[in-house]
Amino acid sequence: MTQSPARARPARSVLAGIAAFGALGAYVLVSSVGLGLWTSLGPGPGLFPFAMGAVLASMSVLWLLQELKRPSAAGEGADGGLVLAVVVSLVLLAALLDLLGFQVSMFLFLMYHLKIRGKRGWLSALLTALAGSVGAFYAFNYGLNVALPVSSIPVLNLIGL
Amino acid sequence: MDTLNELLGGFATAMTWQNLIFAFLGCLLGTIIGVLPGVGPVAGVALLIPLTLNLDPAGSIIMLCAIFYGTQYGGTITSVLLNTPGEASSAITTIDGYAMTKIGRAGAALTLAAVGSFIGGTVATIGLVAAAKPLGELGLLVGPPEFFALMVVGISLLVALAGKSMVKALISGALGLLISMVGIDPVAGAPRFTFGMDRLLDGVSFVAVIVGVFGLSEILSYRKNAETPLVHAPGFRSLFPSRTEWRRSAPAMARGTGVGFGLGLIPGMTGSVSSLLSYASEKKFSRFRHELGRGAVEGVAGPETANNAHANAALIPLFTLGIPASPTIAVLMGAFLQQGLTPGPSLFTEHSEIAWAIIASLFIGNVLLLLLNVPLVGLWTSILRVPTPILTALILLFMVIGAYTINFSVFDVFVMIGFGLLGLALRNLDIPLAPMVLTLVLGPLMERSLRESLEISQGDFSVFLNRPISAVLIALGVLIICSPLLKFRKPKALTEDPEA
Repeated sequence: MTQSPARARPARSVLAGIAAFGALGAYVLVSSVGLGLWTSLGPGPGLFPFAMGAVLASMSVLWLLQELKRPSAAGEGADGGLVLAVVVSLVLLAALLDLLGFQVSMFLFLMYHLKIRGKRGWLSALLTALAGSVGAFYAFNYGLNVALPVSSIPVLNLIGL
Repeated sequence: MDTLNELLGGFATAMTWQNLIFAFLGCLLGTIIGVLPGVGPVAGVALLIPLTLNLDPAGSIIMLCAIFYGTQYGGTITSVLLNTPGEASSAITTIDGYAMTKIGRAGAALTLAAVGSFIGGTVATIGLVAAAKPLGELGLLVGPPEFFALMVVGISLLVALAGKSMVKALISGALGLLISMVGIDPVAGAPRFTFGMDRLLDGVSFVAVIVGVFGLSEILSYRKNAETPLVHAPGFRSLFPSRTEWRRSAPAMARGTGVGFGLGLIPGMTGSVSSLLSYASEKKFSRFRHELGRGAVEGVAGPETANNAHANAALIPLFTLGIPASPTIAVLMGAFLQQGLTPGPSLFTEHSEIAWAIIASLFIGNVLLLLLNVPLVGLWTSILRVPTPILTALILLFMVIGAYTINFSVFDVFVMIGFGLLGLALRNLDIPLAPMVLTLVLGPLMERSLRESLEISQGDFSVFLNRPISAVLIALGVLIICSPLLKFRKPKALTEDPEA
């Protein structure tokens, strides 16, 4: 005789998600009242957000009830290393974009993803990174008339980077 | 006659060499996006909006429309050659498409898919031409309450049809609306949800949000998998289908056109549903249904015709009523708005020349894709041989450029990163992304029409029920949202829709 399986419980990530949406809904409800739901001229700026806050909060409660009744299978989850590498490199790139200029910062960003993470050969990594940084800069600036940032450091700026 | 004259005028504009180049570039980029398995049409179109910002409105929209239906053509190639759909709407094509590759008929499968797509797309565009005037005139009679009610129906349909859970779809829809409300309130001028940041007074850049939610989150959710696939382009001679293959495909293409066109008109229906239902109709009606699954041409010609007919038909509600029927069309609508064009009935009165030029370009784009797609199959397959790290790095490069160039501000790159993480969380929680993008674009229009309606009625909500058209539409919207309570069962094709 097999034992009956223990009653499944909602995954922690799902509960965290529900809590986040519930909290967001509650925050929107409160702050939209502050914005004013109704004015002498008619509906105020807070009316529509209030309705959306109510939808978010009530759906979070419904979702929680559904999960307690019948927990859904937790998602597979992402590859933490990949998420960290991509997000941190993007944040650094964005932070350095105005300081180092598009060409230098994008070159470093691409080299990191091609050479260090992607383990490509030197030649292939260098050529791709140059095309994606210097090549893209000139293609966008002169081909499409879309100005990408140049460095705010005078020395780099002087040599066109 | 009037319509024909205007269409001819549209052709004159669309066939200037600049606009032809834009259409050509759009088809090329769209096909590449379609071929790449990682980037879907929603993120693809959003990503390339910045490229078109400095173009004139007609050229910009012509290019983006070409990108949009180019993705539909491109998605087929990997389905047939690799058994991996480039786009969700080509998923069903893998069954018979790949089976045809295994028996050495890959070239014929690709040609028939391209011809079917051309036929489906062209018929749907003819439908757009026929519907533009009458529906546009009807649309002009629509006041703010009706417009609001129409959007309620559109959003309810998408919410009801997206994914498995309506609760999650409603959360996604409400999130999109809330994001669209960040910034200065359009009526009273009060800042909302700006957290004291001046940069948020103009709202959150919709391109940065879409690229983050749809594009970056896709890359973040990659899993370590197989090496770069080995693909072989079919030889030139094998591209010609045999006479029997042509004869067998014709009825499948006709059925696919009907299915795709009909479903394309309904907001919330995705191209995947059209291709799945087209496959189902082949299983039921085709004389050769017993061969389906073993490399039957009907299994390629039908669905591929249907998804392209769908893509083009979905433009009809956008052009005539201003309602986007799918997430990709919503992004396209965002591009219209960025160019100062409001899709809907007023488009034909205020920007008639541009509207007809875009419609004419749809015909031209379909011809270009037919000519480009099959003969260049060698080029498309060579893209698939590019190693994953290089592709990922280049896609990230385009994302950063796309987000940055909208306002030439690093702030938008941070917005994209933040929304990429949000998108990843939504994916992991199995929350559909489609309702969010639709409400993100429609949010400001919806709020404006709600508030205008209530100002007309001096705050009386019965304005939505006293006017017959809006009353019927609101009732329909309520019925759709309450459908789970009424225990309507969704067709299998909808619950398994990979695009939802």
